[in-house]
Amino acid sequence: MIELFNWFRRRSLERGLDRELQYHFDRRVADLTANGIPESEARRRVTGELGLANVREEVRDIWLTRWFRDFLYDLRFSGRSFMRSPGFTAATLLSLALGIGATSALYSLVDQVILHALPIRDAARLVLVDWKGDQVAGGFGSWNLMSYPMCRDLQQQTQFFDGVFCRAEIQVNLSAGGDPKPVAAEVVSGSYFPVLGIGPALGRVIEESDDAAPGAGPFVVLSNDFWQTEFGGAADIVGRKLLINQHPMTVVGVATAGFHGVDVGAVPVLWIPASMYAEAIPGADEDLLRRPTFWMQILARLRPNLTPQRAQAGLQPWFKAWLLENMVRPGFPIITADRRRQYLASSLELTSAPQGHSPLRRSLSQPLWVLFAATGVLLSLACLNVAGLFLARGSARGREIGTRLALGASRGRIGRQLLADSVLLALAGGVLGVAVAPLAVRALIVFLPQEGAASALRGTLSLRLLAFAFFASLAAGLLSGLAPALHAGAGSLVSSLRERAGTGFGGVRLRKCIVTLQVAFSLILVIGAALFVRTLAGLLAKGPGFETTGILSFAIAPVQNGHSRADAGRLVRRIDEEVRALPATGKSGAARYAFLTGGSWNNQMIIQTDRRIVTGNVNLNAVSPGFFSTLGIRILAGRDFDTHDSRPAGTLGLRSAIVNEAFVKRYLAGRDPLGTHIAVGSGPDAKADIVIVGVCTGFNYRDLRDNSEQAFFPLYESDDSGATFYVQVRGTPEQAIPSVRRIVRQADPRLPILWFRTLDNQVNRSLSTERLLAALSGSFGALALLLSLIGLYGVMSFVVIRRTREIGIRLALGATGASAVRLVLRDAVTMITAGMAIALPCVAAFGKLVQAQLFGVTATDPGTVAAAALTLAAGALVAAFIPAWRASNVSPTDALRLE
Amino acid sequence: MPPLRFPIPQGTLDMLILQILSLESAHGYGIAQRLEQISRSVVQVNEGSLYPALHRLEQKGWLRGAWKQSETGRDAKFYSLTPAGRRQLAVEKDSWARLSDAVKLIFDEGGR
Repeated sequence: MIELFNWFRRRSLERGLDRELQYHFDRRVADLTANGIPESEARRRVTGELGLANVREEVRDIWLTRWFRDFLYDLRFSGRSFMRSPGFTAATLLSLALGIGATSALYSLVDQVILHALPIRDAARLVLVDWKGDQVAGGFGSWNLMSYPMCRDLQQQTQFFDGVFCRAEIQVNLSAGGDPKPVAAEVVSGSYFPVLGIGPALGRVIEESDDAAPGAGPFVVLSNDFWQTEFGGAADIVGRKLLINQHPMTVVGVATAGFHGVDVGAVPVLWIPASMYAEAIPGADEDLLRRPTFWMQILARLRPNLTPQRAQAGLQPWFKAWLLENMVRPGFPIITADRRRQYLASSLELTSAPQGHSPLRRSLSQPLWVLFAATGVLLSLACLNVAGLFLARGSARGREIGTRLALGASRGRIGRQLLADSVLLALAGGVLGVAVAPLAVRALIVFLPQEGAASALRGTLSLRLLAFAFFASLAAGLLSGLAPALHAGAGSLVSSLRERAGTGFGGVRLRKCIVTLQVAFSLILVIGAALFVRTLAGLLAKGPGFETTGILSFAIAPVQNGHSRADAGRLVRRIDEEVRALPATGKSGAARYAFLTGGSWNNQMIIQTDRRIVTGNVNLNAVSPGFFSTLGIRILAGRDFDTHDSRPAGTLGLRSAIVNEAFVKRYLAGRDPLGTHIAVGSGPDAKADIVIVGVCTGFNYRDLRDNSEQAFFPLYESDDSGATFYVQVRGTPEQAIPSVRRIVRQADPRLPILWFRTLDNQVNRSLSTERLLAALSGSFGALALLLSLIGLYGVMSFVVIRRTREIGIRLALGATGASAVRLVLRDAVTMITAGMAIALPCVAAFGKLVQAQLFGVTATDPGTVAAAALTLAAGALVAAFIPAWRASNVSPTDALRLE
Repeated sequence: MPPLRFPIPQGTLDMLILQILSLESAHGYGIAQRLEQISRSVVQVNEGSLYPALHRLEQKGWLRGAWKQSETGRDAKFYSLTPAGRRQLAVEKDSWARLSDAVKLIFDEGGR
């Protein structure tokens, strides 16, 4: 550290040393002359004694150790020479900044979504407990679902766990005085905060006693961010009453700053004890604390020195007994012997989960790794480009380097100088890259699918990001400087001095290797881009299978505002009818669950024909009469629902169903589906009393790739929690929105509308991952192509200059211009072919990794690969043709005079 | 013929400088003279190695340099001991004593 300081004050240090030595010199001379020695003789003797030059050097070595001093001088020298050639500097700086910026931005997302451990004590000991096998009982939620009683039972397994908690993400209507609005929340067991080791910033966190019995804890804990943004960090927040789904609950505390729950994609603004499930989840009308319904994730803290594998193995005997015990719990369904066997064969799975649990990570990790790898390739390409530019510059500096070698500089010293060049450039590029990285991250977040992602991910610089960018820059600098540095260490000194400036130190073979690699890398990226663009275009062209233009959707959840289910059904029906009667609207329909959001209501079904068929999971929904015609979905056989299909309010159960083509094809092939009896569920007690009244064309339910079997029931069965409405609008959607708002406000002035969205917009949202992949890989591919073409052009121009004399002689001896072009192009074709030969096996190998992200095209699709290769080859030939053409125009006399 | 003088043993120059400065602060020329006087002209200090040693000790934080008026009226850089330098001197004295005791012991045994 002090050495760096010394570097900056080296002038004053030098001045001080000079004065000090001068003083010594003068005093010694004075002493000697006083002893009768003539002054000139005294001066001579003192000069010999002191050895001033040596002393200075030795003292300088103390101020700054030798290598450090050399390094700083190298940097200064590099900096000066960069200032002198701004064009070169800008080109290299920009390539590196682009590469490092893109890689850093992607790394930031990878880190936040995939790698980053929860900010809790000893996160490495956190495991996710999951069920492998047939859970039998029903459930709701995302992934890795378990039941609350299961969590309670696991808490007894203290020989394996230091603590076990369960949690589920939900949405609640929150009102703090004003109109209620939907916010994200987390329902947690009393052990959640203690096991995670998260304390309060204010008040207290949720404790075991809050979760002791149903209704025991009408308390919430706010997240620090929400407390700051929504309540301005009010000091008197503890004790305030909030309305959660219209139920009063008291704020007991605020969580530590920086804690955002255990799911990176769903950041809760508040936590509610599981004991308040009935208030927090109005749709749940069963005893979730006692019944084996699957709706929560279970996470546990392993005892120290225990691996997930050992704990998992140790738990199995207990779990076998538990499975039998669980069968007599209230709510356990009656099942066939076959399913009982499957159920009893289940096991528990423990996976290390220091990053918590996240459906976002599940859906995004593969695309993010693919893109991160692509930026890595892009960065290597940029490094290769810079290496090529350095080699070209090195050849221009051949005489300078030759002269320095002749004056006694070691080859290592000169190589180090060249390395300092590239490291300095790369670090400067890294600074530029880091400066734009936050902007890039923010732009990327816009692409991301889930609503939660926007709030959960940040485009800010973290220490980890800075460290990553620093190491990426350093690696880039070393990588791009290595070839030129090694090159400077080779070659004969005499020949380099004898050669003319501009022609010596060619490194042509090295540069050709670099260009070949560039061609290979860019072909990989271009093929990747073509695949992802084709995927997106294919999905967009295919569409969801229903009409999307001119259709507005909006959603409400009345049970979250204190309505009973019967009430909610009536409210949905009323709003549906009033919206349809508006002058600004055409047809309209409603569905219990929204389409194209990624999720679905699904269950197994029973089909009763001459035998009883149990289906796989069928995607289910309840829709209003007119829903199908609103979305332009054709009824192929039978009829649409009418008002008679809905049971009157107060009676439960289903009476009729419409199934889709895929359902008929898979389960009722060769039969007349109309009139067939079916049931939802798969237990022996399920009574097949629902009649199929119609068959509709297939369309996408969860997302645009979804080709599932579907069954629809009538809406208004008096057990509706909410609905999403689909409305054909005349004119723009914006014109219809105010009147829709008015209708909802008249029905319930305090009922929030969860969203207004056009269906086109919904389709776009559901394609966000595909769009992210296509847009980014497309731009990476284009950049890569550009970089490699520039590289190719550069090396070919160089080759032509070097061979000018040879070509001139050939032309003088009667060769045609065309043969000169061929001569040069042959070189280029060799490089392009070699590059492709490297790239294609790589594409075949990596293809499997991206196949899951593709649609309607395989990773090694010959057409796509051929098109990409052709594009690259065409571009490359053009880039090589320009110098080749220049070669054919060489005037033989000029070329010979060059010598 | 000049009197026979030892070249200063390796590594002891630092210690001698610290010892001289523990009595009072001095400039480089003064230190060189005092080194000669104290050792009664039996130790020869190469002036060329004095200044690197001074700067090394200063960088280690054992000496502090300050420009002050010297006895001739000209400004000279006076070095003085820092507290860390004083501790270092104690350490070096101690280890020197032990080393010379050990050497003496070996010589005594050899002479018997």
